[in-house]
Amino acid sequence: MLLEVRDLHVEFHTRDGVAKAVNGVNYSVDSGETLAVLGESGSGKSVTAQAIMGILDMPPGKISGGEILFQGQDLLKLKEEERRKVRGAKMAMIFQDALSSLNPVLSVGEQLGEMFVVHKGMSKKDARAQAVELMDRVRIPAAKERVGQYPHQFSGGMRQRIMIAMALALEPELIIADEPTTALDVTVQAQVMDLLAELQREYNMGLILITHDLGVVADVADNIAVMYAGRIVEKAPVHEIYKAPAHPYTRGLLDSIPRLDQKGQELYAIKGLPPNLLAIPPGCAFNPRCPMAQDVCRTDVPPLYEVTESPAPRSSACHFWKECLHG
Amino acid sequence: MPEPLEPVEEGRAIAATGAGGATDLAMEEGETLEKTPGGPKGTGPESKARSLWSDAWHDLRRNPVFIISGLVIVFLVIIAIWPSLIASGDPLDCDLSKAQEGSQPGHPFGFNGQGCDVYTRTVYGARASIQVGVFATLGVTLLGSVLGGLAGFFGGAWDGLLSRITDIFFAIPVILGGLVLLSVVSNNTVWPVIGFMVLLGWPQISRIARGSVITAKQNDYVQAARALGASNSRMLLRHITPNAVAPVIVVATIALGTYIALEATLSFLGVGLKPPTVSWGIDISSASPYVRNAPHMLLWPSGALAITVLAFIMLGDAVRDALDPKLR
Repeated sequence: MLLEVRDLHVEFHTRDGVAKAVNGVNYSVDSGETLAVLGESGSGKSVTAQAIMGILDMPPGKISGGEILFQGQDLLKLKEEERRKVRGAKMAMIFQDALSSLNPVLSVGEQLGEMFVVHKGMSKKDARAQAVELMDRVRIPAAKERVGQYPHQFSGGMRQRIMIAMALALEPELIIADEPTTALDVTVQAQVMDLLAELQREYNMGLILITHDLGVVADVADNIAVMYAGRIVEKAPVHEIYKAPAHPYTRGLLDSIPRLDQKGQELYAIKGLPPNLLAIPPGCAFNPRCPMAQDVCRTDVPPLYEVTESPAPRSSACHFWKECLHG
Repeated sequence: MPEPLEPVEEGRAIAATGAGGATDLAMEEGETLEKTPGGPKGTGPESKARSLWSDAWHDLRRNPVFIISGLVIVFLVIIAIWPSLIASGDPLDCDLSKAQEGSQPGHPFGFNGQGCDVYTRTVYGARASIQVGVFATLGVTLLGSVLGGLAGFFGGAWDGLLSRITDIFFAIPVILGGLVLLSVVSNNTVWPVIGFMVLLGWPQISRIARGSVITAKQNDYVQAARALGASNSRMLLRHITPNAVAPVIVVATIALGTYIALEATLSFLGVGLKPPTVSWGIDISSASPYVRNAPHMLLWPSGALAITVLAFIMLGDAVRDALDPKLR
């Protein structure tokens, strides 16, 4: 297994109290696999990713428990300096907003080349040649002429390609893409996702795709992990989950996608708001919003029940997953 | 996925602004067009890559305030280094019999209370002022931006300590501090005055540097650099400093003018530079009792002082306009 997150807990110590952002997340990604992590804002999907990358701001953040095994090695036990060598070289991250993720005062060539200078000690000239090659690889036209240009001279889609190129520069084994297409419009979204999926196949990388867009997920992901209030509520292969969700939250998410055959009807919305992380409700965190909630949901935290074992393992953290699956 | 190459009308707008509300697809086409050799709108100054600095320079060159203040400053620096270029006399060669005499051939500004040539002394006075201004600013900027920048970057206890120290220094009144600290110094050079200004001036720059480093640190690209394995020193030098340095430069340029004025103030009060050093402040001080009988003795050095301070403050203003696009 390339990456295994085991029982990860992350808290933020704030003035108002302790915000429990991640409460025992387990997931794993293999080489060549795409895992989509789905959830609303504040569900802990990005915080988990930051903990894996080791770029969590600490303080106020604190990893209060768990393990992050990367190629069998617990990253949380590494020294900062060793950790830094893993970042970029073995795992890389693509951020949501490519414009703000690129330094406005450096040309894109300098920023791409920096990867080679930092990790491989390459000369500036060689690094620039590598930068041109990378830009070609992510299909930026006229790469040779554009390598000296600044981020503001590129369009949104092109900038995201540059971010992808930066992440791919050292051919890492794992890529975490944190909502890579949210800031782009639909046609460009598809192009960028296709490019990402293709490069992933080419390099046989593991890909963690963090998103709240179910449409993006369906095409590229192998498995889906749905997060709610810092926990994984459902894990399943992508086609299974679309066919029949085993958690009322997932069902709610799927029902709130606008569909052509429901023209004229009111769009479904999950009622209520995501829980305040300073005061997560007892029992199942989703119970105040859940249409299926019973008394047991308000008292007992549901464990991750196994729904099917093989060929594709699937699990759900709902006391009534059977009813949900078949209802 | 090859990008289409046909020209589209959005091309022009995109070439000029580089971003905007047009759809991404059109933008990508527009950009391709921008770089197509011989493309109808691909040439012209807008399509050239310009960094913040060359962009600022581009603006400054067209700003009359910058040109005028820049010329005045260049002139001042030249006469500070080589005063004999325009003044052949010796500022310390005085003839008491000519004391307070007005303008006469060969001595256009007249004589001061000691019978020294006011023109020569005004020219030579530039040296002390420029020296104090430049070195005090350099010292303040270096000390302040290093301390403030590191505090802003690392935060935590050091930041807290440094912030309290700057608060303490802010509480010291400059003139009073100068009267107390400089009156015990018997050194006649400009260095004690410069040292005093650095001592009291660094917290100002430190605060600004700290603030702009904190702002720059929160940018996504610093996080992105970290996620791609950049070290602390690399993030600080390559990603944060270039994005945080502009406000420091602006404040330092304006502060340069105020240090020159402060030197004159301290010299006027008798605790700054001391004779035989030639300084506008000293001359203003010695001329002020005779302002009704011989106003020329006061007029020329104070005029030179005012022009110099004004030139630096105007330069700072122009630099700020050029470096801060939000003000445009």
